[in-house]
Amino acid sequence: MQDRNQAHRIRKRISTALTLLALFIIMLIICVPGLWIVLNSFRPTVEIMAKPPVWTPSFTLEHYRAMFGGAGEGGVPVFAYFRNSLIISVTSTLIAILIGMAGGYTFARYRFAGKSSWFVGLMIFRAVPGVALSLPLFIVFARIGLIDTHLGLILVYVAMNVPFTIWLTDGFFRQIPKELHEAAEIDGCTRWQAFWKVEFPVARSGVASAAIFAFLTSWNEFALASQLTRSVGSKTMPVGLLDFTAEFTINWGGMCALAVLMIIPALILTFLVQKHLIAGLTFGGVKG
Amino acid sequence: MAEVSLTSVEKYYGKFKAVHGIDLQIEDGEFVVLVGPSGCGKSTTLRMIAGLENISGGEVTIGDRVVNDLPPRERNISMVFQNYALYPHMTVRENLGFSLKIANQPESAIDKAVDEAAHILGLDELMDRRPGELSGGQRQRVAMGRAIVRHPDVYLFDEPLSNLDAKLRTQMRVEIKKLHKKVGNTIIYVTHDQVEAMTLADRIVLMKDGHIIQAGTPLELFDAPVDTFVATFIGSPPMNLLNAKISGPSMVLEDGAQLPVPTDAKDLVRDGQDVVLGFRADSLSPVGHGIEETGLKAEVELDVQLTEPLGTETLLFVDFGGKEVQAKMHNPRHVAVGETLTFQLQIDKCHLFDASSGRAIRN
Amino acid sequence: MRMRRLPEWLVLLLPAIIVTAAVVLIPLLFSLYSSFTPYKLTRPSTLWIWIGTLNYEKILADWNFWSAFGRTILFLTVVLNLELLLGLGIALVINRITWGQRALRTIIMFPMMFSPILVGFQFKFIFNDNIGLVNNTLQSLGISDAALPWLVDAKLAMFSIMFAEIWMSTSIFAILILAGLYAIPRDPLEAAEVDGCTAWQKFRHITLPFLMPFIFIAMTIRSLDVARAYDIVQIMTGGGPARRTELLWTLMSRTGYVDARMGLANAMGYVSIILSIIFTVYFFRKLSAARNELGMGG
Repeated sequence: MQDRNQAHRIRKRISTALTLLALFIIMLIICVPGLWIVLNSFRPTVEIMAKPPVWTPSFTLEHYRAMFGGAGEGGVPVFAYFRNSLIISVTSTLIAILIGMAGGYTFARYRFAGKSSWFVGLMIFRAVPGVALSLPLFIVFARIGLIDTHLGLILVYVAMNVPFTIWLTDGFFRQIPKELHEAAEIDGCTRWQAFWKVEFPVARSGVASAAIFAFLTSWNEFALASQLTRSVGSKTMPVGLLDFTAEFTINWGGMCALAVLMIIPALILTFLVQKHLIAGLTFGGVKG
Repeated sequence: MAEVSLTSVEKYYGKFKAVHGIDLQIEDGEFVVLVGPSGCGKSTTLRMIAGLENISGGEVTIGDRVVNDLPPRERNISMVFQNYALYPHMTVRENLGFSLKIANQPESAIDKAVDEAAHILGLDELMDRRPGELSGGQRQRVAMGRAIVRHPDVYLFDEPLSNLDAKLRTQMRVEIKKLHKKVGNTIIYVTHDQVEAMTLADRIVLMKDGHIIQAGTPLELFDAPVDTFVATFIGSPPMNLLNAKISGPSMVLEDGAQLPVPTDAKDLVRDGQDVVLGFRADSLSPVGHGIEETGLKAEVELDVQLTEPLGTETLLFVDFGGKEVQAKMHNPRHVAVGETLTFQLQIDKCHLFDASSGRAIRN
Repeated sequence: MRMRRLPEWLVLLLPAIIVTAAVVLIPLLFSLYSSFTPYKLTRPSTLWIWIGTLNYEKILADWNFWSAFGRTILFLTVVLNLELLLGLGIALVINRITWGQRALRTIIMFPMMFSPILVGFQFKFIFNDNIGLVNNTLQSLGISDAALPWLVDAKLAMFSIMFAEIWMSTSIFAILILAGLYAIPRDPLEAAEVDGCTAWQKFRHITLPFLMPFIFIAMTIRSLDVARAYDIVQIMTGGGPARRTELLWTLMSRTGYVDARMGLANAMGYVSIILSIIFTVYFFRKLSAARNELGMGG
């Protein structure tokens, strides 16, 4: 009998060791590519291109200096791209959240004919691949002069993000008991006040995670942006990355520097709301 | 069938010691109830027996096997959980048969055992429903059915009735007792409800702060509590406790009233000792409304503060010895609040506890 | 005097309907029309020539299209299944670790914040045969003498692309499945242990059924975005070498933008749209079914 007890003790210890090993490998694979980018943004080009490879990295800010130096010095107009990205992402996220929240609330609270068809219909629009949409959108936007404008991309991203926002917020509003706004209305609120003062605060995690997703989608989108923007006045950072590629060569160091600049805002934002992010996704989906 | 024995069993959560070296021998076929206030370590002890918590120290044996490091599946136990723990994605039939299916029993044997268990618990009609479609009482029955399907060595119950309403709880209590009569296996049952403990147990194990305070039959705990904690925990209403000082042949209460010292305790107290006088509501009744007992008695005049008529008897709340105590009036008549009655206290039914240690003063 | 007013629900939903109609529906209708014309960007007048289903017939007879189509299906099948398995594995590992879960969870989310195009460049760099991290490491450790042509050899290129895609998207599975693991009530798991389950049986009979809704949410969210792979492939190989990593989306964009044959490209676009919709609706259905199974519907 003592043997069986011991066998189980040993088995437990082995499985703990294996778990730790697996964790180490997972973390390695997830972290190394990102760190590689960060590392190379600080290495001189000569060293990046060195053959055989140099394993002890030296440190330089040359790529950042070039990047922020402006177009005149062979750099890329980073500030303009950053500004475009920020304006487009923030505006489109705000609008998408407002519109999407109204939609989500409608699906959660009202009964009407063909409700589920409306819902699936909207979701299907989200599933249309960006590339497939970019062809006709390019032609239509060209006709009405929305190519190469902030407004054009904002519109596109709002449309892309509304369905997903509806999905997430719908699930969240459904979690909130109807009695809550009824109680608020009895306490003297209008329906509008009841929503903003009672239901909205409760559904905040859902809205926060929807906002993060909307922002990340807009911030990172490439397929549509690459076709619908042309000039420094409207190009976003993902499109700007292409500026570092020439016909046969790529300025890896410079690209890495821009990449770091791209990731930082996304990183900060996600950290700020990461708790809500998971709650939002699962509540919206599972219980919805 | 099997005995269960715990030898110096300990449980640490980090630095915190939840169970302090428990020793407990449970006979084959015995119905033992672990009872105590929440946080007393009773559930932890049960879960260590089940194998759901690691044992930090000591030894647990089931039958003649040491099971300290064995996973639950090798201990041949079954357990009924507080929240039923039914599998929501399985029907009642699948829930009942799950453990047998896992053990690779043939289909026919599973069906037979499941039908038998379902019949015992009156679940025949519900077999194809999912747990979500059942009421609390029905879920409770399924949880019990799941435990008995397997004929394990030991049944473990973890507060199984605490989520049911009062009426259903009484009903299920009876069923659990019948079930034990029928299957006759060892049962270890955890509850915080002393009524459940009193009505179900062959033996009650009363725990507090990770220690066993007293173990014994329900009547032993009721009639001979080892300390004031047991005295107030077991029995409803709880035992009345009054501070008193021994003075010659009498006890002086806080308000100066004097009572004779109970006959049994006379030789065990010394003059000037601080004691706690304990008596149950049954021992204090208005004259003519009590239970006739032999032995020493005392009569006191007390004001009624509040009455709780219960039908066959009325609970009277009175001021006595500087404290509010409960008295019982058998064959009740209407009593007005504020009325002064003559009460008889059965002195020889009283318990004395040492005031500083709280231990009973008894041979 | 009663004014006829729109019902409240329609008023609230109207902005959503208008914006999706304007940005998605109208262009799609336009492209549907143009897929029946020989429209070329360079010659606008071609938009008015009706050629019926000729574009579609052309596609269906085109070997390049079919091989891209088949490769896309294969790509999605392999990638989605691996992401699910790896995500599940990661979630299970992290769930077993008792310290620093918050930090680990945050690290797991890391790849979700990367733009797909950035992931493309990142792995183009890492898999670069001359200066990439992979080859440098292999050569420095003496595992391989010659530089492996990661992005040039057909098989290796496909592998590299899939690796990038999986690196980027496994997080969503891991995070959602982890959330699912947290949400599983402890009681049924303990009951299963007492009922005699081994670790594997417990996982198979209790954990997995509980996780199904979460898995399908992840699948649904992923299927909305499968076309993001376009960005990665476009950057890493551009569909090359010699079309050997060509997916439906890269073929479409080449046909439309490089060859300027919009009508034909739009016809391909429709095939890809239908593909995406089928994926999404399928997983959405599965999600509802799994929810009902566990009594979470509502």
